[in-house]
Amino acid sequence: MAIKNKIDTFAGPLSRSNPITTQVLGICSALAVTVKMDTALVMSGALIFVLVGSNTIVSALRNLIPARVRIIAMLTVIATLVIFIDQLLKAYLYDISKQLSIFVGLIITNCIVLGRAEAFALKNTMWESALDGLGNAMGYGLILLLVSAARELFGNGSLLGFQIVPDFLYVEHGGWYVNNGLMLLAPGAFIILGLLIWLQRTVTGYTED
Amino acid sequence: MRSSSGYTYFFVIAMAVISALLLSVMKISLQEQQEFNKALDTKKNVLKTVGALEPGMSGSDVEELYSSKFIRQSILDSEGNEREFYIYGSPASPEGYVLPVSGKGVWSTINGFIALDADKNTVKGISFYDHGETPGLGGEIEKDFFTSRFVGKKIFKDGELVSVTIAKSKLQEQSEHAVDGISGASLTTGGINIFLRDNLLDYLEMLKERDEGDTSWQ
Repeated sequence: MAIKNKIDTFAGPLSRSNPITTQVLGICSALAVTVKMDTALVMSGALIFVLVGSNTIVSALRNLIPARVRIIAMLTVIATLVIFIDQLLKAYLYDISKQLSIFVGLIITNCIVLGRAEAFALKNTMWESALDGLGNAMGYGLILLLVSAARELFGNGSLLGFQIVPDFLYVEHGGWYVNNGLMLLAPGAFIILGLLIWLQRTVTGYTED
Repeated sequence: MRSSSGYTYFFVIAMAVISALLLSVMKISLQEQQEFNKALDTKKNVLKTVGALEPGMSGSDVEELYSSKFIRQSILDSEGNEREFYIYGSPASPEGYVLPVSGKGVWSTINGFIALDADKNTVKGISFYDHGETPGLGGEIEKDFFTSRFVGKKIFKDGELVSVTIAKSKLQEQSEHAVDGISGASLTTGGINIFLRDNLLDYLEMLKERDEGDTSWQ
């Protein structure tokens, strides 16, 4: 595979074939964990670990996995990795793991992970599959970061927990500004995500057939 | 070879055994740390209930404050099970009591603590730390805006335990025994109404028995 193709394997999912904005996969967790940036960051990290790991392992086993049980075999790999990261978070990032609650566990059913294993890792070498996994997970993470930054900024006036909107602007301190509570609820995530999908498709010119 | 049944069985079993082995090793090696986190979290919630948890407190601060301020007591209920509660302050002159409460919400068992002042009547605070209620609806019970409504309410009315009831309407703010509920969380708060009262009754019974002659538990 030429260098250009390798770059494409990694960079394509970041924009042109982004798993969230183009393929509209993994929406459930993208809505649920984007109220604040720190949870979105940890979730993205977890997905990067799981997707790179599952793609690499599935690709390494691709000549050993019997075709008839390939979905179960892939799910076993994915589930093992997800439980692994879930237990690690419970041990070392307890507070964040409490906020992420079931959503780390639900990476098992995240369509992006199984989709990449089935569509890419079963047919390509380990190195390419790892790149593909990294690209897709970072494409997912990129959208999560954008959505969570918008939600935290407009819903809470902060970014990564640091107050951005100055205190004196708030109504409680004699100003005029009020946080937009809608951003903290699920509809806020839908609106931001919709705007992102619109923006991305306008720029890349992608349309559904 | 890859399509034979024998190979398929072999592959699936080998895969299951290897994954199970890896996860077991992992679970055992992390167990201690996880249990430590869980215990610390419970302590944080006990502190939060009495309003002693400052934002940004480190784990060791929590440990220190907890061990200097709280005394864990165990007590037997009518069925002979061991139940625990916490005395805040010193046993001779307690500043308050923290009682664990738990019961059914809509989807899950809700666990929390209620703290009473030294008069054993005024609510010092309440917190719900473990539940599986719908985020954004019943899940809102863990938020400060809701739990702060309980502070200062009374659980006894004319010497009889009435607990604190969650009900609709802002008018509840004027009552000593009721707080305003949350829109969309009627079933969750209905569950809390039931188990909060039951739990308080239980503890009352147990403590009366334990502190025989002590009439301060009305």
